[in-house]
Amino acid sequence: MTTIAPPAAAVGIGLKTQHVQEVIDLEPTLDFFEVHAENYMGGGGPMLRQLARIRERFPLSIHGVGLSIGGAAPLDQGHLDRLATLLQRFEPRWFSEHLAWSSHGGAFYNDLMPLPYNAQTLVRVCDHIDQVQAALRRPLLLENPSTYVEFVASTMDEGNFLAEVAQRTGCGLLLDLNNAYISAVNHGRDPWDLIAALPAAAVGEFHLAGFAEDCDGAGDRLLIDTHGAPVAVAVWDLYRRTLRHLGPRPTLIERDQAIPPLAILVAEAECARSALVDAAAWLEAA
Amino acid sequence: MMTHDPVQAGFADALLAPEHPLPPGLVTWNGSDPSVRFDVYRNNVVVSLTAALADGFPVTRALVGEPFFAAMARCFVAEHLPNSPILTDYGDALPDFIAAFPPAHGLPYLPDLARLERARVRAYHAADARALTAEDLVPHLADPPRLPATRLVLHPSSTLLVSEHAIVSLWAAHQGQGRIEDVDLRRAESALVLRDGDEVQVLPLAPAIARFLAALAAGTPLGEAAEIAAATAPDFDLVQALALLIHHGGIAAWKPSGELAA
Amino acid sequence: MTQSRAIQTTTAAALALALGTALTLGNTAVAGEGAAKEKCFGIALKGKNDCAAGPGTSCAGSSKVDYQGNAWKYVPAGTCEKTASPTSPTGQGQLAAFKAM
Repeated sequence: MTTIAPPAAAVGIGLKTQHVQEVIDLEPTLDFFEVHAENYMGGGGPMLRQLARIRERFPLSIHGVGLSIGGAAPLDQGHLDRLATLLQRFEPRWFSEHLAWSSHGGAFYNDLMPLPYNAQTLVRVCDHIDQVQAALRRPLLLENPSTYVEFVASTMDEGNFLAEVAQRTGCGLLLDLNNAYISAVNHGRDPWDLIAALPAAAVGEFHLAGFAEDCDGAGDRLLIDTHGAPVAVAVWDLYRRTLRHLGPRPTLIERDQAIPPLAILVAEAECARSALVDAAAWLEAA
Repeated sequence: MMTHDPVQAGFADALLAPEHPLPPGLVTWNGSDPSVRFDVYRNNVVVSLTAALADGFPVTRALVGEPFFAAMARCFVAEHLPNSPILTDYGDALPDFIAAFPPAHGLPYLPDLARLERARVRAYHAADARALTAEDLVPHLADPPRLPATRLVLHPSSTLLVSEHAIVSLWAAHQGQGRIEDVDLRRAESALVLRDGDEVQVLPLAPAIARFLAALAAGTPLGEAAEIAAATAPDFDLVQALALLIHHGGIAAWKPSGELAA
Repeated sequence: MTQSRAIQTTTAAALALALGTALTLGNTAVAGEGAAKEKCFGIALKGKNDCAAGPGTSCAGSSKVDYQGNAWKYVPAGTCEKTASPTSPTGQGQLAAFKAM
């Protein structure tokens, strides 16, 4: 298969099962679809066949949510093998995972838990990413998480940690601007601290999603990464500013709860496309 | 590589037990109580896994109602975390958990109903295998002496359910087939759940046919399986049993024995 | 041995006859006849595949709050209340309040 460089203004959405038939029938004006790897690891059946049909028409991004790269335990070799099989079958354009952990003591917690950022966890994360990239024979894109607590044991900020991981392992970065915004608000920081620390060349994809709003024990804003709402205005603003700083990258709209009709998600992706086109024109003029 | 991490161990320990202390070393930028923030993780784990169970057991949920199901699922999650990130594999242990869950003892059919729902999810995601068609099987008619010792491999998506309760009718009534009020719960029912093409089917079975399929699934040769079923019920209908398997794609392999019966 | 062989031979002929008949039955005959025999609920049900797909993983959190393990008291209160003989002496459908945790 020949790999065609994605257009600068590539936009996609997360593929939801309720939209699959419509996507196959209507072929919406999107450049790619993203799926969660763990939803396509059954032995067989219609979901894999449907994904194969979509793969015939669209490039795919495969997004892992269960590798537990930040976990203290060794990576699950069986899971790595399943990922390798999946990637071999569907030849996605991108494979991404999270800077987080989700398994401990053989149990899977189904959430993306945070880790301290320090020399020790840096070595652990880099070792795991080296292993993943060796097993999958391709670079992965590592995504910045939404976090709700921080650790006394952290000695690096998230942006420098990610930059260091990218530099040491050669992995790319998936910059989730919703996560960047959520973590910044939750920890009283400027989201730009993270974005400015990232090496532009390493950033391969953007994610955009919606959050829910709560309060912490002091009554300050506590944002929760629900993927259950449209992209917030503040996140669109951050996205536009980031595009001028890092340049256009393929951009995904994520929605995992309160899933609206396909057309709504396509329209949101088209908003991202406008921003990408504007940024490209601005960068050319500059 | 360091595999023990006291922070992660403490984090994991506190996730499912709100009464346990928070992991050491959490900070917040504004000095607020970290437990409020930690509760977001506690919540994500319980809510997402409860939602996963709810997705896989819609009729079980309807039968007991949302509040009961959510509360029961929370108890289940605390005892049975997934052992893999593939959530479609989560829930195999729920039927046995329900059977041992005192609050659900008033609904003795519930564990088997949950087994039926679990079988449907497993069938949907089971490995693909080409099902033998009538055309594939016609040649075997030419060699009757080999038939009694022939073993069948059922389709990898198939699960045989044998219940003392009317779980098939009850499940069907929740799909708009018949009224819940009309289901005689004391009626023993059996079903074969399998994926036929892309569709998951719940095929009701007469007791003798269920006995026949159970024997086949256990590797019993065709002749012996038929005799076992006939001994169970004189009205065992072998034609019906074979036709059901053939027409719903239930046979993945037909293995004539090398030994001749006569 | 002779008797056993005779039984097996009969079975071979019976099996061939049954298989031959089964192979000639059409799909509708299978579904219809099965239904009549089962006196159950009619045709084999089509899978509702959105439901059959079961749970999926996601990388999102939740804003719904449900982690507290406080004492709770629930009785099954869904469609089970429509089922017949809720107060039968067998215990079928006897719903009692309970406490847990």
